[in-house]
Amino acid sequence: MEAIGNIVSLLFFPGGLFVIFAGLMYEWLDHKIIARSQNRIGPRWFQPIADAIKLLTKEEIVPDGVNPVLFAILPLIALAGALTAALYVPMAGLKPAYSFAGDLIVTVYMLSLLTLSIGLAGANAKERFSLVGSTRALTQLFAYEAPFLLALLGPAIAAGSWQISEIVAYTETHTWMMILQPIGFVVALIGLMGKLELPPFDSPEAETEIVAGALTEYSGRGLAIFHLGKGAELIIGLTLITAFYMGGVSNPVWFLVKTVGLLAVLAALQSLMTRLRIDQTVGMWWRYGALLVLLQWLIIVVVQLV
Amino acid sequence: MMLEMTQKEEKFIIPIGPQHPALKEPGHFEFAVDGELVTDATVRLGYVHRGIEKGAEARNWNQNLYLVERICGICSHIHAFTYARGVERLAEVEVPPRAQAIRVLVAELERIHSHMLWFGVAAHEAGFDTLFMFSWRDRETIMDILEGLTGNRVNYSANVLGGVKFDVTDEHRKTILEAVDFMEKRTKHYLNVVTTDAMFLQRTRGIGVANLQQAHRLGILGPTARASGVKRDVRVDAPYSAYKQFPIKMVVETAGDLEARFVVRLKELFESYRLIREILNNMPEGDLQVKRFPRRIKPGEVISRVEAPRGEVFYYIRSNGGEMPERLKVRTPTMMNMASVLAMAVGHQLADMPMLLVGIDPCFSCNDRGVAICNSKGDHDQWTWERLRQHGIDFYAEKV
Repeated sequence: MEAIGNIVSLLFFPGGLFVIFAGLMYEWLDHKIIARSQNRIGPRWFQPIADAIKLLTKEEIVPDGVNPVLFAILPLIALAGALTAALYVPMAGLKPAYSFAGDLIVTVYMLSLLTLSIGLAGANAKERFSLVGSTRALTQLFAYEAPFLLALLGPAIAAGSWQISEIVAYTETHTWMMILQPIGFVVALIGLMGKLELPPFDSPEAETEIVAGALTEYSGRGLAIFHLGKGAELIIGLTLITAFYMGGVSNPVWFLVKTVGLLAVLAALQSLMTRLRIDQTVGMWWRYGALLVLLQWLIIVVVQLV
Repeated sequence: MMLEMTQKEEKFIIPIGPQHPALKEPGHFEFAVDGELVTDATVRLGYVHRGIEKGAEARNWNQNLYLVERICGICSHIHAFTYARGVERLAEVEVPPRAQAIRVLVAELERIHSHMLWFGVAAHEAGFDTLFMFSWRDRETIMDILEGLTGNRVNYSANVLGGVKFDVTDEHRKTILEAVDFMEKRTKHYLNVVTTDAMFLQRTRGIGVANLQQAHRLGILGPTARASGVKRDVRVDAPYSAYKQFPIKMVVETAGDLEARFVVRLKELFESYRLIREILNNMPEGDLQVKRFPRRIKPGEVISRVEAPRGEVFYYIRSNGGEMPERLKVRTPTMMNMASVLAMAVGHQLADMPMLLVGIDPCFSCNDRGVAICNSKGDHDQWTWERLRQHGIDFYAEKV
């Protein structure tokens, strides 16, 4: 019986298919909101699904000069990392499927696998746009990763535990963390945008400079899997931030309301801003993001001691 | 081949074009980068050379009006305007004042839609797609007016030799004035965005500076030059057509960076709005065309200059007394501005390149031309059709 439960949670819910489909739906909503705010009509609801199916059925061209094993396996690692992370977060407002002390750190690093894989995939190719894109992707990873992690650790310190389920139990019963730790909330939100390479942090895939960045050489299945991984990461990131900073996600309805609300904020930010250059991105994160988060930490520690 | 390989290995070159998302037309740029920093830039043009100058020699004076209108897809009216003005001067025909006013009216409407188009493209290159969508939506207002006036959205075909084809009625006047009011409001908003949005300014302020000296040395034209403080505008320097009755004020900025290029173009729009209102309120009465325009034009040569949205358009026309021009020479502003992109590129980030390139408002198909290179003895190596054909056969035979 336990084995069946494990298989269900790995393949269907909360990992596996559920995350992939929910990710595609959230991606559609993101595109739709941006399109509406840009005075466009935007895609129909099944567009991301149709895109994924189309790409999955297409021939995958392996370019000359790449390591074919790495080329095939990197997208899978990215998606697997995102899906594994889904097992430890309170997906759809339910209890995490698995939980152990310190799973927050594991989850955050599982989420980083996507960017790491994209960076390696770009470096694996001989294509010049891919190389520049992968350099930028990895540079950006070093810029936002530390502040993002520190921002997520803020509620953890307040809750006195690094276990996601315990932190969520704490945030559900206390005032919303985005009111108590506003700096951490903003940094986490912007960190998520950096992680997902959304505008204005889309210089690793700036189409007017380096075409599609690190994934320029990917077509067909590999590209589709990277996209699915990104969709999964979008919904996991939204879940983590709502669970930590917006008073937890106690049931599916609240989950939907809060994550969609947060997604609308993300979409608004995306349509309002100009793309940053990679040096500006890095400068911004280390000059403001990291320092502000450290300030937030200092405040938390002082308040707790008092 | 080997030599080329070893030379290229020393530099990491990012190729942009001929097919690239940043370029709406084919051109090839090679940026040598050190990390993200551009250390060298070269350009190769000529992918869309169409042989229009040669083609003009095989068509009569009237037919050429339609040919030159197709040189540029954005400033189509300006080319026909320049050509018609040149031919009319060659034939010593005086165009009725009402026709001249209508020509200038269409030219200014075209300037508005061209600048709005440029504005959107430049915002897109910076990754600000919302601005891109909004400016292109507003541009449709002008496109609708042009369609209502002339029946066409792109190649308006407003000119005939010796006049214009259509009249501006009271109804037109009302819709144009309404649209201009709307556009003026929007332009004010955009000017505000361009000069105050902190994120956007990070990408434009102090980027790609061409100071006055450089601008003179590189011979930059049009709004790009005026952004560097060069007082150069054919409409003011040598007023032509209805600009004599309806003078404009030159818009000049001195900063010379990308922001100044945005500001100059947007401020120029206010001048265009003012001019359009003035023309519509003081439209001269009279005929639209001259009664008769000669089929053959007596021998002679003429230079015709007009300020297009991108800068000065220069035509040289020579007649030998026949039904067709003996020589038609076109120089478009992109040709003159292209060198400035290369000069400004060095020392900037790779991410700035698309914006720098778009900053001059390039139009590749207008400036592409065939160039014959002479060797030191002064003769050029001309290929006959047979030789070219044989070369093609040999080339592909070797490949197989």
